[in-house]
Amino acid sequence: MAEGADGVTPRLSMTGVAKRYGAVRAIRHADIEVAAGTVHALVGENGAGKSTLIKILSGAVTADAGAIVFDGAPVQIANTTDAIALGIATVYQEPQLFAELTVSENIFLGRELRAGPRIDWAAQHAKVVELLELLGVPAKDATAPVGELSIAEQQQVSIAKALAGDAKVLILDEPSAILTDAEIDVLFGVIRRLKESGVAVIYISHRLDELFRIADVVTVMRDGATVGTYPLAELSVREIAELMVGGILNEERSAREVPDAPPRLELRSLGLAGKFHDVDLSVRPGEVVGLYGLVGSGVAEIASTIYGIEPATSGEIRIGGTSVRPTSPRHAQKLGIALLPADRKRQGMFAFQPIAFNISIGHLGLLSRLAIWMDRARERRVARELIDRLAVKTPSERQPIGAMSGGNSQKVVLARQLVERPDVLVLAEPTQGVDVGAKEEIHRIIDGLAAEGTAVLVVTSDLPEALRIADRLLVVRGGTTIAEFGRDASQVDVLAAAAGARDESPATVATEAADETGVTA
Amino acid sequence: MTTTSPPKTPAGGPLGRLLGRRGPRVIAPLVSGQEIVLIAVIAVLWLVLGWATPAFLTADSLRPLLIEVAPIALIGVGMTLVIVAGGIDVSVGSQMMVCGVITARLLVDAHVSLPVAMLAAVAVGALMGAVNGVLIAWGRVHAIIITFGTLNLFQFVGRQIFGSQTVNGIPETLDVFGRGDPGQTLGVPHSFLLTAVIAAAVWWYLRQTPGGRHFYAIGGDPLAAELAGIRVRRRVLLTYVITGALVGLAAVFTLAKGTTTLDQSIGAGQELAVIAAVIIGGTSIMGGRGSVLGTILGALLVQTVSSGVTQLGWPSNLSDLFVGLFVIIAVGTDLLRQRARRRSR
Repeated sequence: MAEGADGVTPRLSMTGVAKRYGAVRAIRHADIEVAAGTVHALVGENGAGKSTLIKILSGAVTADAGAIVFDGAPVQIANTTDAIALGIATVYQEPQLFAELTVSENIFLGRELRAGPRIDWAAQHAKVVELLELLGVPAKDATAPVGELSIAEQQQVSIAKALAGDAKVLILDEPSAILTDAEIDVLFGVIRRLKESGVAVIYISHRLDELFRIADVVTVMRDGATVGTYPLAELSVREIAELMVGGILNEERSAREVPDAPPRLELRSLGLAGKFHDVDLSVRPGEVVGLYGLVGSGVAEIASTIYGIEPATSGEIRIGGTSVRPTSPRHAQKLGIALLPADRKRQGMFAFQPIAFNISIGHLGLLSRLAIWMDRARERRVARELIDRLAVKTPSERQPIGAMSGGNSQKVVLARQLVERPDVLVLAEPTQGVDVGAKEEIHRIIDGLAAEGTAVLVVTSDLPEALRIADRLLVVRGGTTIAEFGRDASQVDVLAAAAGARDESPATVATEAADETGVTA
Repeated sequence: MTTTSPPKTPAGGPLGRLLGRRGPRVIAPLVSGQEIVLIAVIAVLWLVLGWATPAFLTADSLRPLLIEVAPIALIGVGMTLVIVAGGIDVSVGSQMMVCGVITARLLVDAHVSLPVAMLAAVAVGALMGAVNGVLIAWGRVHAIIITFGTLNLFQFVGRQIFGSQTVNGIPETLDVFGRGDPGQTLGVPHSFLLTAVIAAAVWWYLRQTPGGRHFYAIGGDPLAAELAGIRVRRRVLLTYVITGALVGLAAVFTLAKGTTTLDQSIGAGQELAVIAAVIIGGTSIMGGRGSVLGTILGALLVQTVSSGVTQLGWPSNLSDLFVGLFVIIAVGTDLLRQRARRRSR
């Protein structure tokens, strides 16, 4: 721990913090100490407990145990109002703004300046213009409705809002994930100015390379606990990645034989304007290829392009050697591509309908007689078969899917894709929000499908998952594939590649160079 | 151009200058684009109707129009709050029936004075609004479902109070809000005058005070509003209570413009007329956007159309057609606007 060795009281310290949600221990034990006038990075893999920690600090949830000391005095943060009163302001990843209200109104919402009973517009406007100038936003935006601003501008408004309350601690939750490089430069300029004025900035990011440009110290979290706090000057991207991953060896890996066959699915310099470019990959029948990238890397968009949700603007998709251009999910399905969508609740399920309905929808042609009425008996039979095969835990195929656990409902959505035995299966975040046991089963199902000859592409931001199931693993960063790994890839190497290790250990450089030529260590 | 200082930045557009604003605009313009369109449409309609039936643009023709508009516009003021804050209230017609019959019975059977009867109507309306508000804000059930339930519930309560079919002998004290001479000052009906005063007050409150602006925040994103320290549930409750209270007053106006006999049809279908007026006035059915001025204009437009259709001697169901088209145009405009905004991000 970086103690206040020089005897200066830290602005904020949290010790022995713990939090559980039901049976899940989100944080086992966290200690962190943040000094005024510093930029303090907080890193960790998905599920390490970062977001829970900042939620505790911002009052969105309360800790089960532990102490928080602010400017030397112990404090209780029971709700967001407490946090704001202390001067702890949080800028969430998704701007929490009101599209129909003006920038000025948004900034002062809930603490308006008054002139008698009414809002003192002129005074608010003056203060807002001052804040916007500090952030480099044109003053004329002050009276624009927030809905008319770009995402980057909205984020600056969120920061202005945080600062209007005279923040002493500013928490930025992955602010760079949604920004372009130029916008990130502006953001960093703002952060530096805040730091100089004595604000303690807690900066959460998955892009480890950028921490070296902006942060002074970094606290690493792993499995719900803080590992330690280190000055960034003493670390490399690779060392941070090692701390995040820990010494844990990867458990089982796929051991299937991948038959030597011509590729079933190929992407050739595929691009979507503004999202990704020059993506090359191929998947053979019986092969599981992983596509791993951080949030904002463009990895999610690649999946929706293959499935025709947003047609590509350059390059081509080839299925079995023929060039295709899916323009809608229905079209993609006809071409033999099945997709498991990332956002299960919104894109994947009909919550009030029974399992059988959820499986058969999309295959009504196959399950109806003379394409007129449903063959109910056959629908039930197919549903039961798949329930058995995927080990869905349910009393009956008539159970509504909305009442089931995340893991089980995901299996049902997966089952829908398997009714017609697709040649190509694209899975986006197949185990997001799924418990460990179900995760294991879904991985086994994916393995089984590949063994039957399906070409599987798994798009994921879950690193252990990517390593566990992929025969080959491609890493996406900055909108394009930048590295390829084989089955024996180490977690640290992959993470370092995805998070932006550029000029580090020779091992990563070598893999980066081996872009599309084939498998490397 | 009321200022002699050299023109600096364009101050809130031509209208802002007209209203004597100086310096950069720091608050939304007094009249929004959609409201200007509405004013234009109403003006054109009045001119056309005045040309087609010369009797239209006379005081004798416009006064009944204002008397008809008053109850719808008044409830519309409350409904604007409800919809801006992300809710809806389809039970206002039934509320009006309950308030109307209670007021009539108090006047006829208990011989109370008009102020007392009005107070009772407002209180009963506020109570029914509170029932809606509590169920919606604390029960976390969608407003349309709750108020659809209470629509039937209040309907039942109203019928019980009616007992027999009608209430007869409604006294003359109500003439102060009626169609005759006691019901107007300088030719303006009292019911419309009172509605205009209340609308102006609510309009100012929505535009100028923190509490008013918070309704827009709640309609935009209730969760984010809660995080900003707004007491969302209390505010939501308030919108329904205000609406109920205004329904009580509107019921008195409705009694006054009728005959001496009150039957059970009072309030029937009012919710649709009110919601149509609010939507046509530019309030987004999705919440977060809208204005009282727009609602008043929307109510005027709806009433102009139906009066016009009557005066031209056209089949009366044509006015339903026109109102329907206006609603679709208003909702369509709102949707297109939101979609354009989303794409521009």
